[in-house]
Amino acid sequence: MDRLKQLPTLRINTDEPLTLKYRRKTYRGAAGDTVATALYAGGVRIFGRSLKYHRPRGLYSLDGECSNTCMAVDGIPNVRTENTLLKDGMVVDAQNVKGSANFDWLGFIDKLDWMMPAGFYYKTMHKPAAVWPVAMKQIRKAAGLGVISPDDEMKGRYDEQYLTAEVTVIGGGPAGMAAALAAAESGHRVVLLESRPHLGGCFDYRVTTNGQGTHLYERARELAEQVKQTANIRRFEHAAMVGAYNNNLITAFQVGKAGDGFTERYIEIRSASVVVATGCIERPLLFEHNERPGVMQVGCAHRLARTYGILPGKEAVFSVGHDLGLEAAVDLSDLGVKIACVADIREDGQRPDLLEALAERDIPVLGGWVATHAHGGKTVKKATLSTVEGTVRRQFPCDLLVASAGLTPVSGPFILAQAGMGYDRRTGYFLPTGLPEKMFPAGRITGINDPDAIEASGRLAGLEAAAAAGADVTQAAAAARQAVAALPGPERGCKLVTAPVKGRKSFICFDEDATVKSVKQAIDAGFDVPELVKRYAAVGLGPGQSGIPGHNLPLFVAKYTASTGTPKPTTVRPPLVPTYIATYAGYNHHMFKRTPLHDSQKADGGIFRNIGVWQRARYFSEDFDCKEEILNVRNNVGMLDGSTLGKFRIHGPDALKALQRVYVSDMSKVTEGRIKYSAMCNDDGCVIDDGVVTKLGENDYCFTTSTGRAGQASEWIRYHTRFDNWDFHIVNLTDSMGVINLSGPNARKVLAKAVNIDVSNEAFPFSGYREFFIRETIPVRAMRLGFVGELSYELHVPASYMQTVWDMLKEAGAEFGIRNFGVETQNVLRMEKCHIILGQESEQRTNLLDVGLGFLWDRTKSDAKTVGAVALRQAENDPGRLTLVGIRMADDTRAARDGAIIVDTKVRGYVATMRKSFTTGEAVGMALVESQLAGIDTRLQIFEDECNGELLDARVVPMPFYDPEGERMKL
Amino acid sequence: MALTLTCPVCGKRNGYEFRYGGEDKGPRPAEEGLTPRAWCDYVHMNTCTVGIQKEWWCHRDGCGAWFTTFRDTTKNLEVKPPEAENGQA
Ligand SMILES: [Zn+2]
Repeated sequence: MDRLKQLPTLRINTDEPLTLKYRRKTYRGAAGDTVATALYAGGVRIFGRSLKYHRPRGLYSLDGECSNTCMAVDGIPNVRTENTLLKDGMVVDAQNVKGSANFDWLGFIDKLDWMMPAGFYYKTMHKPAAVWPVAMKQIRKAAGLGVISPDDEMKGRYDEQYLTAEVTVIGGGPAGMAAALAAAESGHRVVLLESRPHLGGCFDYRVTTNGQGTHLYERARELAEQVKQTANIRRFEHAAMVGAYNNNLITAFQVGKAGDGFTERYIEIRSASVVVATGCIERPLLFEHNERPGVMQVGCAHRLARTYGILPGKEAVFSVGHDLGLEAAVDLSDLGVKIACVADIREDGQRPDLLEALAERDIPVLGGWVATHAHGGKTVKKATLSTVEGTVRRQFPCDLLVASAGLTPVSGPFILAQAGMGYDRRTGYFLPTGLPEKMFPAGRITGINDPDAIEASGRLAGLEAAAAAGADVTQAAAAARQAVAALPGPERGCKLVTAPVKGRKSFICFDEDATVKSVKQAIDAGFDVPELVKRYAAVGLGPGQSGIPGHNLPLFVAKYTASTGTPKPTTVRPPLVPTYIATYAGYNHHMFKRTPLHDSQKADGGIFRNIGVWQRARYFSEDFDCKEEILNVRNNVGMLDGSTLGKFRIHGPDALKALQRVYVSDMSKVTEGRIKYSAMCNDDGCVIDDGVVTKLGENDYCFTTSTGRAGQASEWIRYHTRFDNWDFHIVNLTDSMGVINLSGPNARKVLAKAVNIDVSNEAFPFSGYREFFIRETIPVRAMRLGFVGELSYELHVPASYMQTVWDMLKEAGAEFGIRNFGVETQNVLRMEKCHIILGQESEQRTNLLDVGLGFLWDRTKSDAKTVGAVALRQAENDPGRLTLVGIRMADDTRAARDGAIIVDTKVRGYVATMRKSFTTGEAVGMALVESQLAGIDTRLQIFEDECNGELLDARVVPMPFYDPEGERMKL
Repeated sequence: MALTLTCPVCGKRNGYEFRYGGEDKGPRPAEEGLTPRAWCDYVHMNTCTVGIQKEWWCHRDGCGAWFTTFRDTTKNLEVKPPEAENGQA
């Protein structure tokens, strides 16, 4: 089709041709086209088939309020093609068709609607039960929109942006632009959101003039230029607002255009005040086959011509209830569409100049008439008009039926902001009964239509919003208020909902094929309020988010139930416009911390796992049982990167008091040069952390926490001392210090080669703490621990020196055959020693006594108000608790899994950790069991998924399993 | 998600930066003579005020401070202290 190329209103650039592929045919469009308009220009009238009845569907609103033109675009299903800008080379496909959109083998289902009344699924699909799965399979094949493969991966870049402003303006039409400009006058930061790809709104495509004689489209471009020139207005085009929350938090998503660094972008705006200038959409007219391709709304037909240069049809019939319909008829007639007839629901009240213009063009206008029927199998061939009462009928041949009952405000932002909504009898709109705090309506949403009034109301709202955000605009606001008062106010709106028809094929909701008849059935079945009808008859639950039925449904229900109260709209929820989940998700899904040794651990063959916020080397070979790593530590010497350990310094006059508060032990016994092992509990006595503490000097301590607790340790200590006004400081050294664990009988020989302090057992004994420098440069804090049960040094080194020290030790240990060990090896080694890991040998309910750490608890310091002490005292005599025990499998080749449950007639406990011990040759581990089962040699039975119903036998054995005297770590 | 809170050190910030620390129940009771019941009540019982409530928040992703503030639980908005509290703040 030839485009109208000379119109000044065009938003396409015909010098920049683009193509798309649909059913192996190439369609030509231009930059600025949407996918839908390019297809329409190429002659496509049927875009897809409807959800339930497989009815042909076409272009209807051009703003995506229904799923009519949803198609698969480049493999993504349910793309709203009328909202999607064409990009060169796009491949599109129709949805929910067997065959093609034009010839759908399932089209016959439309004839079977009598078999499927409202609630049909609920009523029929439950008995006999055996039929249900079969029927469901068939229904799923026939119904539904779009197909997605589980393997599909969403392509593109999904960005997010968080803005702060004084004023947010939702809607970039004349009112919104005027509001933004007014709000910006006081220097406020203004954010302007427009859902279409360009500013302009209802002025953008209209050639009528305002009070100054300027064409509205020119005025729109003037305002847009002013907006662009105003530095403190940030405008976001193609950015639909999707959510409004308290504190006037507004969320939106923006579709990226060519050259943008993102495909879609989530936007969250915090601003003091908000202007809602979302304008109106059209209220669909209900008549038989009101969604037949060829039936479209006024704005759709008008914008196709004016914005996209496409004549929507050759011969048109109009059935409208608003002056915009008359305006479009005049303009389309001038552009070359033959207008057979204009039926106006209103008997009178039309703008006289429009009636004159229609008369000049010999276009017959029938006042008090309405369309009742669109004829034609797949597209419109003929229209039946009748008087509103249904007494007289006439038919007109046509290929375009422009139909619209009137306007309806886009009030979603108000509903989301929790405003009460009420029915306004003058306009026939649902409007907020009270405005949310610092939220101001502007423009057509208030019921006005006069172009100058629209701008004036925008300016006033912008100034009010600026004032609410703290600007002094008293004088300007007073002037703006006067200007608004002098201009026309809200107009009477058309109230008609349905033409005088029975409504079997009058679709109130396109997305879910809900008809007037099915709504009547729902009401007759007792679902007589809109919110119930909505769910029972499925009206407005589809992708269009109630855009089509949102206004008509409550009006129709009120009429049909002869309700004397005022109609209430159904509610809407975010997102107001369908949004990709990918847009909400953003792009950065894989965040973790790396230790200073990450690269060298990787080079050494480390196999990494995410452990909490870290990535750690868990294994150093494909043998996930880690036999060689384990035996090398037991018999020789190994090195572990323990940098994830929580490391803290606490100092200040009240540091000791703080430690006494959170640690169960008496921390006054912590001395310089030695480490003390202790634990922290919560207020229930449940153990949450363990680690070592040493004293660095007067009022100066260092402590370690488990990897998982490092992020919360400061907060924890501050919380539990928040009433005390104590003077202390906590420094989190976790990321600035790394840790090397050097373990094994040869560890001392290795360390002695690398450092120049005396590391003999006498000079640096077990539980000792030493500070020294390596090569007079690298400060090292060293402690002798026994977590893995061997002679072991833990070296705390500044992160930047970690690699150096590691390499020195590796070199020093080369002659002994030193090698890496990973987290799994450490886990087995410490398990053999029955040293617990919190979170593994404990869960939320496990207290200090349960895991056998009661010896750490000092009962004499009640003045310290130690966290957990009160609860521990109460738990001491509680017989109903679990106890940590050592267990050994009857079959040493069959270690139970971590987490397997211990059962008799009921669950009696669970396995915490269990491994085949290479050191002892036994399958041993630790378990939490009811205290009655804790006695040595008690037989236990274990269930796990892999046991095939045969419980595994185990018994309680003494702990630890390795080196029970603890001699090796003190060597 | 729309909550903002006013940290005494950093000022008004996004609510996501903070961790909730519970209703303000006053300092820990002395351990001497404390009944299990009284202790459990202190730790676990909440008044769950419908309306304005004084509560603890930690500026976790900021300065780390614990502070009290007032929140209207029906709107999930931070509010000014009620008249009676002004002296303490
Ligand atoms: Zn802060």
